[in-house]
Amino acid sequence: MSDTPRSRWSTPVFTIGALLFMSPILWMALSSLKSPQEVTAYPPKLLFTPTAANYAELFGRTDFLHNTFNSFVVAGASTLLGLVIAIPAAFAISWHRMVWPATVSLFARMAPGTLFLLPWFIMFSKLGMAGGYTALILAHAVITMPLALWILLPYLDATPREIVESGQIDGCRSGTILIRLVLPMIYPGIVVATIMSFVFSWNYFLFALALSGFDTKTAIVASFNFIGEGTTNWGALMAAATVIALPPLVLTFTVQRWLVSGLSFGAVKG
Amino acid sequence: MPPRSPGQQAMSARWMILPAVVMTLAMVIFPLGFAIYLSLGGNGTLPALGLGHYSRLMADPAFWSALRVTLVLFAVALVLQLVLGTALALALNRYNVVRGLVRTAILSPFMLPPVVVGMIAIVVLDPGLGAANWILESLGLPHFLWLASPRWSLLVVALIDTWQWTPFVALIVLGGLQALPARVYEAAEIDGAKGWSLFWHVTLPLLGPTLLTAAVLRSVDLLRFFDIIYITTQGGPGNATTTLNIQAYKLGFDFMDVGYASSVMIVLALIVLGSVVFFASLRKKVSW
Repeated sequence: MSDTPRSRWSTPVFTIGALLFMSPILWMALSSLKSPQEVTAYPPKLLFTPTAANYAELFGRTDFLHNTFNSFVVAGASTLLGLVIAIPAAFAISWHRMVWPATVSLFARMAPGTLFLLPWFIMFSKLGMAGGYTALILAHAVITMPLALWILLPYLDATPREIVESGQIDGCRSGTILIRLVLPMIYPGIVVATIMSFVFSWNYFLFALALSGFDTKTAIVASFNFIGEGTTNWGALMAAATVIALPPLVLTFTVQRWLVSGLSFGAVKG
Repeated sequence: MPPRSPGQQAMSARWMILPAVVMTLAMVIFPLGFAIYLSLGGNGTLPALGLGHYSRLMADPAFWSALRVTLVLFAVALVLQLVLGTALALALNRYNVVRGLVRTAILSPFMLPPVVVGMIAIVVLDPGLGAANWILESLGLPHFLWLASPRWSLLVVALIDTWQWTPFVALIVLGGLQALPARVYEAAEIDGAKGWSLFWHVTLPLLGPTLLTAAVLRSVDLLRFFDIIYITTQGGPGNATTTLNIQAYKLGFDFMDVGYASSVMIVLALIVLGSVVFFASLRKKVSW
């Protein structure tokens, strides 16, 4: 794209546009640093002395630290579970060129989450798992597993068959071939799948809203409960929002190159 | 993996898909069947199995209202996101600025949890103290009720989602634009096509398959709209933003009307499926 016209004004115009576009996110971060009086001041204050009071209240007076820990447990474990199931499945699908798994996972992706919630709720209650980590992790793996599968498939399809065949000649079994020969080749795909799975699981609201118990409440569900508490404390609310927004934003930027090129390419292909 | 050469099919990795199959059966297929069973009156939600929940649905004004809200939100947001996303992609492609701050601005919104977007909306769009009304006031415009407006709240929800997802559509369209064959453009230039007519007669038809992909991805999410509404308006004011998904959730978890809620969810699942089938049928028409 070296022949694209780039006039003198295009960079500043797009930069200002980008800042305006992100202003709600910046507003969130700024509001979280205002004192309780300033955060609800009208007209809103742009200049103020930053304070960590909202964060102190959030972590000191509520269970938000524990809720954040729960979010890490659920997102981390469901990412791991999703990968452990998706990696061998993607290998088998790619090697044997299976078509039906794609169709099945597409249908699962289309169904509204609420559709599964009531049956899950009844299932987990009968099994005595309601409100526990296991139920939440299994529910979130329904998001992470197909996502990891879809991200990994192109990487596996691009792996030369000779690699696998050389392993066969050496008498390796399929499990060994996958772990010793194929995994090192698709390492970048696994990194992307891990990060995207974690972000999607971290961001997911509905399942935890219905399935989490008092002790397993995730940060997102807990912050929703702040809103309901009569006079909403905007400062603490924005501090909670900032804390929740941070992991996905930070992780996203570690794979932004892939997101910009790979995601659009994958979507066009799909 | 490239085509397999004959005589080297010894290895079977089919068993490796088993955990995924078990997981899908236990967490997706069985619950799906169970939801259908519930919607037909199973588990004691009706005295006998039958279409009782569905006939109640057909006579329920709340269902028709939620259906209308779902479809209006879907149509408005989808059109806005496709049009604005395409415009943004054209600008990004022309000026080649996808780096630094611009790239950050494109990626940030749709990587944020929708719940966080809803929380920001609560603060920014507050009718009394929000920054949005302060901006209107500074421009000499009257205050607006935003999410509290019975008439406009649905449009405001559509605009919030448009803010979050237009960059995603733009990225997909950008990928499509960069994959377009340069030869077509050279030929079009020789024919004297440029500007608007080049876009309308050459670029847009070529982008058909890409736009369709974007439309499918956004439709599936838009028809199941939940998070931002649940966080901000809870379906109100009145029923102004009660989508089918919100209604189904409230029926199931607030009113414990499990069988009836399942029938709403099954209808919603069928609508999503119908939209995907519809877009898939268009694929042949727009392919080149």
